[in-house]
Amino acid sequence: MTVKTYAEAVVDALSGMFRADPNFHAIGRGILGHGGHERHAHALMKEFGHRFTDPPTAEGATASMGIGAAMSGCRMFVHFGTASFSLEAWNQLINEAGVAHSMSGGQIRVPVVFHMYHGLRGGGSGQHSTSPQGMMANNAGLIVMQPTSPRDVKGMLRAALKCDNPVVWIDHSALLGRTGEVPDEDYEIPLGSAEVKRAGTDVTIVATSRAVLWALDAAEILAKDGISAEVVDPRTLVPLDENTILTSIRKTGRLVTVDEAIQTCSFGSEIAALAAEKAHDALKAPVARLARAATPVPFSPPLEKAIAPSPESIAIAARRLMN
Amino acid sequence: MAETPKAAERIALFERMLLVRRFEEEVLRVAQAHAYVGRQHLHIGHEATGAAVASVLGPEDLFHTTHRNHGYLIARGADPGRALAEIMGRKDGLNSGRGGPWHLCDRAAGFQSTSAMVGGSVGLAVGAGFGLKKQGKTAIGVAHFGDGTLDEGICFESFNLASILQLPVLFLCENNAKEGQRPSSMLAARALRDLPAALQIETVVVDGRDADAVRDAAADAVAFIRAGKGPVFLQAQLERWPGSHQTRPEFPTGVTDLTLAWDRDRISGTHADWIRDHDGILLYAAKLVAEKAVSRDDILAVDGRVTSRIQAARAFAEDSPFPDAASAADGVFA
Ligand SMILES: Cc1ncc(C[n+]2csc(CCOP(=O)(O)OP(=O)(O)O)c2C)c(N)n1
Ligand SMILES: [Mg+2]
Repeated sequence: MTVKTYAEAVVDALSGMFRADPNFHAIGRGILGHGGHERHAHALMKEFGHRFTDPPTAEGATASMGIGAAMSGCRMFVHFGTASFSLEAWNQLINEAGVAHSMSGGQIRVPVVFHMYHGLRGGGSGQHSTSPQGMMANNAGLIVMQPTSPRDVKGMLRAALKCDNPVVWIDHSALLGRTGEVPDEDYEIPLGSAEVKRAGTDVTIVATSRAVLWALDAAEILAKDGISAEVVDPRTLVPLDENTILTSIRKTGRLVTVDEAIQTCSFGSEIAALAAEKAHDALKAPVARLARAATPVPFSPPLEKAIAPSPESIAIAARRLMN
Repeated sequence: MAETPKAAERIALFERMLLVRRFEEEVLRVAQAHAYVGRQHLHIGHEATGAAVASVLGPEDLFHTTHRNHGYLIARGADPGRALAEIMGRKDGLNSGRGGPWHLCDRAAGFQSTSAMVGGSVGLAVGAGFGLKKQGKTAIGVAHFGDGTLDEGICFESFNLASILQLPVLFLCENNAKEGQRPSSMLAARALRDLPAALQIETVVVDGRDADAVRDAAADAVAFIRAGKGPVFLQAQLERWPGSHQTRPEFPTGVTDLTLAWDRDRISGTHADWIRDHDGILLYAAKLVAEKAVSRDDILAVDGRVTSRIQAARAFAEDSPFPDAASAADGVFA
């Protein structure tokens, strides 16, 4: 075990894959963003720069190139930068990568990992803040993952890179600096397994991506009030580990979902529906859903702050369920 | 070729470009003073092109610009105070604080949305041309964009549409690429103009530092388009300002000192080449003085006027409050 940042764990997984498979290639640059974590990517580029292709600003063709190369026998990593840019490749993700295996009667495989940074970032305004996880999950044939800890990201990225299906990794730059213990050896965490990030008995908070950090802070606030919150991180949105989530809801009888995307047809709504369908008898209170307000993200800092859930708003929602 | 305009018109053009320069310098000062303003894409070094094109457009012409939009907004008459307030996320900003620096929009000054999606402006301006033509108007649509934008497939599709439908659209491409330098210029074509030219679009390349040359080329292009002869691709060659890729707000070429226009021996420092050869503001000031169109004092008087306008703009923006957080989700639908 070594204590590492999330960014370093990403580099671990990618360099392991570059070493293991000469047919593994990456398209894109700035995979760790342009902040303080960029330097870890520099080390990766130094060793494996020749395995990276720097594309023009052409998201559609870039995604297609990754998909076609994957079909031809390579394993591919395609980096979009901001998730908003991936919408330029919506057709390629949904109509090509997602359908190819099934539509070909199982003949074709598409081992691509698509990587992008979603969410509020401070000043991203209406065109650089998209959180497309709900939209992405509302399609057949795409695995959608959102690891949140250094240990998870190394194990899940390794699993994704070895997977024979397209995996959409909707990442958040706020996670890059998270630190935690990471096993030094190579390991995989199966896609489709959730994890309880904090055990509790009174209320279940199901959160994804950066919202897991908010939920953990909310659990601290609630603990001071004597409320014991359990935080469940699905880690993979598709396929979904229903068991871990339902077990927690059955234990606490209360559910808060937290999502950085807009609520309508969101992943949080999916979890609420799951509870209504399969744990209705265990619920002691209505489900509370927290999500980003349904507006294009406003630029002004106080407006951007006002539209997002926060540890405080999660704690308030959870407290309400206790009465 | 247009006739040589009178001195008064040229000094007005100079004032327009200098207003943009002083505005952008103020944006840098704002960014230095407030941590939250986000990443800036300034129009410094592009002012001669922007102001010259703006000077030949009519108020009805509909403009679509990009992340690098400030120069066009200011050059077409948007209020500098409200523009600065928008960049600072304030209530009295052009977009009521909802757009920010990448999306300045002023319908009254002839702007229809400002898209920071690379390629966004190109497709939308074709729509403006289509709409104006259908409404029987003589106004035109204008797309401003950079050389890197030609990487996106939407350019091909939009050029083709504009060409086959003979739409009144000016494609204004600012080429600030350094050879081989990211993010621009990854095009396999020999020249940017080869792409629109292959689709039978009229193309013109002009020295983007030279305000007179751009004004004349743009005037000819606009006349051609208004005459119903179809779209024109106007490419302005520029040299990227050394500060265009900074993450922290700095003045790598200093605060513009107009006396360097005639006191060229004093030009020095790491970026002396850019200041001497590529700063369209200094080049135009030098030219106007050398041709005796205006005096040095006239130039400095313009600067005085411009600078006090910008100071008033800053005061206005600083005084404007942030929008009420309770309004964060308002105004989503018309
Ligand atoms: C669809 C999309 N992809 C990527 C980006 C990121 N991006 C912002 S500016 C830029 C380069 C644009 O270059 P150019 O068009 O030459 O404009 P310049 O900044 O040089 O004026 C890129 C790739 C984006 N904004 N939108
Ligand atoms: Mg450019």
